[in-house]
Amino acid sequence: MNILLSWLREWVNPNVTDEILTEQLTMAGLEVDGISPIAPAFKGVVVGYVVSCNQHPNADKLNLCQVDVGEAENLQIICGAKNIRSGLKVIVATVGAQLPDSLRIKKAKLRGVGSFGMICSESELGMADLSRGIAELEDDAPIGQDIRVYLDLDDCVIELDITPNRGDCFSVLGVAREVSAHYNLAFDLPKFEVFAQGDCAIGASVSNTQACPKYLIRTITDIDNTVKTPKWMADKLVRSGQQLYSPVVDITNFVLLELGQPMHAFDLSKLTGDIKVRMAKSGEQLELLNETTLKLKADTLVIADSNSVLAIAGVMGGMDTSTQNSSSNILLESAFFEPVSIAGKARSYGLHTESSLRFERGVDFKMTELAMDRATQLIIDICGGQASKVNNACIDKSTLPELKPITISQEKIQKVLGFELDAKWIEQKFINLGFEISQQTNNSWTIIPPSARFDIRIPVDLIEELARLYGYDRLPVQKLSLEANISTTSEANIDQYDIMKSLVNRGYQEVITYSFISEKYQNLISPDAKKIRLSNPISVDMSIMRSSLISGLLQTVESNQRRGHTDARFFEIGLCFDGIKADEQSNKLAAIVTGNRFDAQWSADLQPLDFFDIKADLESLLALTNAEFSFEAAQHTVLQKGQTAKIVLNSEQVGWIGALSPIVQKQLSLPKCYLFEIDLASMKSRNIAQYKALSVYQQSGRDIALVLDEAVPVAELIQSVKAMQQQYFVDVYLFDVYIGEGVELGKKSVALSLTYQSLEDTLTEVQLNAKVDEVLVLMQAQYSATLR
Amino acid sequence: MIGAILDRAKTSITKTQNLQELEDLRVSLLGKRGELTALLKGLGKLSKEQRPTMGEAINQAKTSIQTLLIDKKNHLELIVLEKRLLAERIDVSLPGRHAEMGGLHPITITLNRIQSLFAKNGFEVALGPEIEDDFHNFTALNIPEHHPARAMHDTFYFDKNTVLRTHTSPVQIRTLKKQRPPVRIIAPGRVYRCDSDITHTPMFHQVEGLIVDKHANFAQLKGLLIDFLRAYFEKEALKVRFRPSYFPFTEPSAEADIECVICSGKGCRVCKKTGWLEVLGCGIVHPNVLSSVNIDSEIYTGLAFGIGIERLAMLRYGVNDLRLFFENDSRFLRQFR
Repeated sequence: MNILLSWLREWVNPNVTDEILTEQLTMAGLEVDGISPIAPAFKGVVVGYVVSCNQHPNADKLNLCQVDVGEAENLQIICGAKNIRSGLKVIVATVGAQLPDSLRIKKAKLRGVGSFGMICSESELGMADLSRGIAELEDDAPIGQDIRVYLDLDDCVIELDITPNRGDCFSVLGVAREVSAHYNLAFDLPKFEVFAQGDCAIGASVSNTQACPKYLIRTITDIDNTVKTPKWMADKLVRSGQQLYSPVVDITNFVLLELGQPMHAFDLSKLTGDIKVRMAKSGEQLELLNETTLKLKADTLVIADSNSVLAIAGVMGGMDTSTQNSSSNILLESAFFEPVSIAGKARSYGLHTESSLRFERGVDFKMTELAMDRATQLIIDICGGQASKVNNACIDKSTLPELKPITISQEKIQKVLGFELDAKWIEQKFINLGFEISQQTNNSWTIIPPSARFDIRIPVDLIEELARLYGYDRLPVQKLSLEANISTTSEANIDQYDIMKSLVNRGYQEVITYSFISEKYQNLISPDAKKIRLSNPISVDMSIMRSSLISGLLQTVESNQRRGHTDARFFEIGLCFDGIKADEQSNKLAAIVTGNRFDAQWSADLQPLDFFDIKADLESLLALTNAEFSFEAAQHTVLQKGQTAKIVLNSEQVGWIGALSPIVQKQLSLPKCYLFEIDLASMKSRNIAQYKALSVYQQSGRDIALVLDEAVPVAELIQSVKAMQQQYFVDVYLFDVYIGEGVELGKKSVALSLTYQSLEDTLTEVQLNAKVDEVLVLMQAQYSATLR
Repeated sequence: MIGAILDRAKTSITKTQNLQELEDLRVSLLGKRGELTALLKGLGKLSKEQRPTMGEAINQAKTSIQTLLIDKKNHLELIVLEKRLLAERIDVSLPGRHAEMGGLHPITITLNRIQSLFAKNGFEVALGPEIEDDFHNFTALNIPEHHPARAMHDTFYFDKNTVLRTHTSPVQIRTLKKQRPPVRIIAPGRVYRCDSDITHTPMFHQVEGLIVDKHANFAQLKGLLIDFLRAYFEKEALKVRFRPSYFPFTEPSAEADIECVICSGKGCRVCKKTGWLEVLGCGIVHPNVLSSVNIDSEIYTGLAFGIGIERLAMLRYGVNDLRLFFENDSRFLRQFR
């Protein structure tokens, strides 16, 4: 909302600078987004009268003018503008004048003739971007007057960012009421005298008084709408950002800005029969003032006559019945449309109007009559004519917003704000804000909010008003009272931050990618997943909610490759989506590596990363949990056959690890990548340590090499040794896998180291052999493994 | 005779060049076939009177030779060690064997800092889904259908009732549904708005904070947030101001501005010449919000705040383009290691 400061000061004029006033507005919750002066700084510019205008003796395109600027002698000024002529009132920058852009006017000689000043265009004064020639002033402009005074240029427009709750501030009146409340200045609603005669010739009925509790009309006949809108009004409108139309339309716009009441004027001669305020019938059409034709929906409140729809209530009028310069009889409408009935209607037609904005936020429903009189008075003053009495076609008190009393106590204020406000001060501010105090005790007040304030309904609303006027910045500051419980986080919990840190320490860079991906990637990576599609995506590339983090990582590798960054380890943690319900959204962790194990350096050769590099990184993470994860050969659409495993915990799959499939790699122009993805829930907790007694006796070890079928996964072998749960068993570890000479084709040699220890004694050779034999027997039985 | 043996031994030991020669010498001097051993063996042939004197002389010579041998051995070993050290000398200025360190994303770094600052005040972390229903994202937060604030949210929809959360505030509702006061949580996470230009990305991050307590009040909210902002920017005297604002889920509502950290409040391009930067929104939880989760607003007061993470990260690290956070350019990300 743009407000002209001089207009505001006509209503309420605190004795402070513009700077302090605007700062105060911001601190009161009416945020000032910008302050624009009407014209930039300049001086020495006055109204002049062109006494004579003749061609320059030495130049075809220049004129030699004698200009009266109210001094003893006329000024001789050379001017090249096409529209210069004698008898014109113009803007003259006299010698010594300081114009915008540091331009200074000096005596000059043009083609041998002296020139003592400059006749200006609006653009030369920084008041317009483009000018067609010099500015032509009104004939009655006083010669010699400073142009800043004559054109009221020492003024500025402030841009207010009005919050949705403050519909009452979409007018000069509303902002003035705020200012008066801050500065304790008297503020009375004006009264407008109207001479009205005869009943309104047009009847009106309202079929939906829920949506339209109040509907007033009056005719004004025999007006002259061809006159010019007076300068004082035109200036206010234009400077506030309004376009000019005809006087009647300008007046309704003026009242909208001044009082916040949207109004409409129909051309009486275009109406047929009485007015009906009703819901639109499906199929009805209306050509609007902006020359678009709409097909109306049945949920839309409209103004109609007996023939057709005339306007969308509270949004915009129709073209056919609009007031033109030629209109001489009009029907003026002032109404209150209920906010919820209007909300969203304009937007549903792709419209956004000054009128809909105000009705949606709430228009003061006691302003209807006043605005009607204000507009009538202005029309008669400017266009003449005869006003009828107002036809109060509908005033349904039962559907008008209820103004219920609200009680606030000093105790409640103290509870919410943390300190007590002075009772006298509170009362003063309530009165300043136009709140009617209907009851009061020593420490409580019952007020009735004004009809303009749709945001004042409960006690805390009053507290906000008081806090606002007191100044949020002046409110006291306290420390938190500590009533929080001690943290109940279990030691078993694995902090997500520890997981991240552990990856960072192993060389991984975290990335954050968008949660929505393209359908192409979704089809590629998770063809079987449910497609969770946004109904209004930013673009098709961001239209499906990811079910895996892999797409974001692949894109990150791709974009970094393009920038020449070929070695990369990336990871991301984020929600992935199997559905729209809360329990179908879960955190995953995914990582990708590509390029060399180490960057080029003097102490190591470049070695490409492989499956076991990323697996080691994953295993280091899984070790945080001390749970038994296993890896089983499997297949996945984006992973390479034969180099893919599923990650299994408690016989449930919790993730994937593998090399990127060469097919996908080619499709996306990617280098060789290895990646894993795991449900973060599988790494949520670890076992809390439980001490086991240490043995004082020596540990005995035995290495065995087994020859067995190549296809047997070594992990399974080791798992089955552990599963034996032998007495004295300490550990088994793999120290070699060999395939080649000396081992039969299709077989491999697996070297395991077994360790045993007793708590009571050093194990004898016999005891040890017996234990190792048990293992060999099992290996033979389960895997046909023989000792090499 | 013993004296001659000792002299010869001394000469031989002095001449010895390496440890092997020294060992051979030791064997010849003190071994079973050595002269001194022979003399010792011959003691039995001496008279009772001669035996102790001779024995002692032999033993003394033996000890002397042993000492000489040990000294020589130590000397020779030192020479060997010196040689080895010379051979093993390295250029210590060469860089260590290098495995590159990774790093966290600046948004995560910022979130972690904020979380740890609040953790010291007893705030627990709470999380919620990013695909939200209308109830949690709007209705329960006192934003009924047709409320003008809904239009300001640029919401992403899946269907009429399902949205991408437009703020982290729904976590307030989810927390209060399962946890009774006193409550003290912060809820970090991704949020989404259907808007994309130079100053907006369709996804960004917020931290929501919520306190519900019998004795919570606006003065404490101010105190907490001023302390937080000063700690975050590590500026003890950072100016913070509170302005009235509007959020449907708080009343009174406020926005907090800090003195521009780029120009120290003098006015620059970043603060649009105002000297102030808006950094967060906050307020007293609206009674309608508390009643939507059956908490009596006559007994309990809620304090809530919402912080834009990208904004804080940009100000802290001097990042001038929001979009950099989601382009994941290694050159950008590495700067935060």
